[in-house]
Parts: sequence; C-alpha cells; structure tokens
Amino acid sequence: MIHNRYPGIEKSLYYVFDNLEIEISPLKGSSCCPAPSITKSVSQDLWLEIGKRNIQLAKNDTIMTACNGCFTTLFEVSEKIGTGDVRHVAEFLYFDVGTERIRRSITKRLPLKLAVHYGCHFFRPGEYKKFTSPERPKILDELVEAIGSQSVDYRYKMMCCGGGGGVRAGATEVSQELLEIKLDAMSNEEIDAIVVVCPLCLNQFDNGQKELENSRNRSYGIPTVHYIQLLAVAMGMEPELTGIQWHSISSTDLIEKLVKGEMAEE
Amino acid sequence: MASQTEVDDGIIWSCGLSNVYQTPTSFNKTHFKSLPMDDEVGAVINKCIQCGTCIGSCFSGRVTALNTRRILMEHLAKGVPIENHDALWFCVTCYACQERCPRGIPVTEIILKARNELARRKGLPGRLKNAFSYLEKHSALVPGKDRNLEMRKELGLPVYHSQFDDEARKEVSEIVKRYLKEVIR
Repeated sequence: MIHNRYPGIEKSLYYVFDNLEIEISPLKGSSCCPAPSITKSVSQDLWLEIGKRNIQLAKNDTIMTACNGCFTTLFEVSEKIGTGDVRHVAEFLYFDVGTERIRRSITKRLPLKLAVHYGCHFFRPGEYKKFTSPERPKILDELVEAIGSQSVDYRYKMMCCGGGGGVRAGATEVSQELLEIKLDAMSNEEIDAIVVVCPLCLNQFDNGQKELENSRNRSYGIPTVHYIQLLAVAMGMEPELTGIQWHSISSTDLIEKLVKGEMAEE
Repeated sequence: MASQTEVDDGIIWSCGLSNVYQTPTSFNKTHFKSLPMDDEVGAVINKCIQCGTCIGSCFSGRVTALNTRRILMEHLAKGVPIENHDALWFCVTCYACQERCPRGIPVTEIILKARNELARRKGLPGRLKNAFSYLEKHSALVPGKDRNLEMRKELGLPVYHSQFDDEARKEVSEIVKRYLKEVIR
C-alpha cells in the first residue's frame, strides 16, 4: 500500500535511514504482504504462502516495514516458518535507535499537538508482539515527544480506526460509524494532526474523513500523517517530499509548522 | 462410559456449563465436525465462562449486531456453528477480546477461521470481492494506478512492486489461483 498509494512515506524512510547511516533498499519483486485479516478470512494457506515468498526474497536481510499489516503478516509468518527477521520501523526506531539518538539527530523540533493512533496490529496480538503492552503502549508517544511534539491524550485512544479486518471494504457503513466515534473523540482535543504508523490507518483517517463529509455531512478537517514523515521533516527533509500535499485533508497551519519548526536543542 | 470417551479430554467438565446439556451424549465430537475448525480450536471454545469480557471490549459490537459472547454461547449451548453468523464480517480484528479473554480463547483467530466457511458459502461482502480479484490480477490488494507511478517518479523513487514486474506478478498470481480457486467462486 505504501508503494502504490503513499510513496511519500517511503521517501521519508530513505531519508531517515540515510540520516541514521543505516543501509536500506527496496525489496525488489515483493508483492502485497498480503493483508493479514482479509487474507486469513479467506485462506490461511494463501496468507502463509504469499507471506513466505516475500520473506524469502529478503534472503538474510532484515525486512523493515512502515505498515502494521505487513508487519503482522511477515512477522507471524516468519515465526511460523522459522526464518526471516521482520521489524516495524516504529519499534525499530524506539528499541534499536532510541529516543535519545533521535533527539540528537533532528535539526528542528516540530511544535505539534498530535493525537497518537497506534493501530491495533502494531501492538496486538501480544502473543507475537511481545515488545510492548497490549493495552497501553508508550512507544509512539515517546517517539512523538522526541521530535518536540506533544502527544495529546484523548478518549478511545486505543480504539481501532474502523478500517481493519476487511470492514472498510466489506462493511463500509460500520467502518464509517467507528471512524466517526474515533474522530469525535479526537476533535474534542486541540490537535494539529493525527499521527499513525500504518498506511491503512492513514487511508482510513484521511480518505475516510472525505467519505464522512459526503455520506454523513460530518466535517472534521484533521490532517493525518505517518510518524516517519514527521521524523524526516524534523531531520531536515523538505515537507513536500513527504507527499502530505497529496493527502485528502491538509491544513496550512500544519504545513507552516512543519516548514518553520523550532530550533532543536544542542 | 461410552459417552464420556467421546469427550474424553474432560474439557467440557471444566467449562462450568455442563448443566446446560441434558446428557453428556448431547455433546460429542460430531459438534466439532460441523465446524471448519480443528478439534483443538473446538476444544478451546469450551473453556468459555461467558464472562462477557470479549463483548465488553468490542467496539464493533457497540454499533453492530456482532456479539462475540453470544456467538460462543450459542455454539456451546446449542451447537450453532460459529460460521452461521454474518455479523462476523463486522469484526475489525483489533484483537482486544482475544487479548483480554481470561480463559485464553483466541476469539479473533476463531472469527477469522469461521469467515473461511462463511466466504465459501455466501461469497465475500461488499468491495472485499474486488480485493481478491486485484490480488490475483495485480498481486496487490491495493493496486497502483498511473497517477501513483507519477507520484513515485516525482519523488525520484524506483518502481519495484511485483505488480510491475511480469515474472514476480505471475508467481504471486499462481499462488492466489491455487488457493482461491476452491474458496471463492
């Protein structure tokens, strides 16, 4: 989904890893991971087989992904087949790079108030994602603080965006109902944007808001960004290279804050 | 006792619901055979104590007919197959129920597995139908369009998804055909 819909997330990934001097390159010929829940809903074997193919393409290299769905599929499949090293960029940044080094490597702080949304498959099921709490993860909140932004608490923080499990495509009304509950809660707080670590959540929050305008006459106007896009900008990348200008919901206020930023600490 | 050997692992006796059944023979392995699940999963459902933690954690259940506790109860008490419930398609697979179940029942995984049979019987709902034809044709559930390729070009990014590599795409399409043929008409 990142390759085909959100290339700005990928651009940001290369920028961040280059800055951190960690080699990263495209996994040539890789396919859709495939999406865990909708594929498992149809055939566990299909899910396993395509996942296996993608893992084998990486040979002995670590697979780095910026998507909760890819992470879930590739990580679970790798555990099942006993090969492959699969990481989600958010937990990699937190555990292997560390918030201290992130703080030191940014050139400007981003004075944003953000509604953090983890995405269910980032931290659940805990049986596989043992690295954080399956109830109250803190990783993304701390990553957000490392770039000078504030993680604003809100009701239903750990609730699904409504896009998972094939509900967005299979039961669109339900998906919109859940999105509305989530956005109502977020809009009760003063925030500049929603921050996610998954393109499916991004799509649901961003394009979903457009859909809510049409189907329910609800308008929120809250931009959504992937954390890696913010980190790349904080490290010095031009905001338009993150592709946020292509998102459905944008705000000049957010872009202005991204362009200007604040002087980073020494 | 013959009736007891049919349930011989003793799991139903620990579920606290044995009074629901008139005789132990009303509960035997044939119940499990009506399920798309293996005995292992069937047996684990019997650990359910109907506490309602699953439905209490379920955001989708607040706005839809999906009621995980009731689905498990009807299965336990009346042998209603899990896959009889169309509302399974309302599950967003957030795993909150599974994570919190005090009996360790993998509720979400059970729902996903039951969906296999539901899909086989009635096909996929809504736009999910298209998703798998995309996966077969383009090796992507969300295929890239010309506009997306332009965006990549604008950012100076290479195109490397299997969708745009004939050999890789065919490889993936073959896998999809192999497994989907028997599942989705």
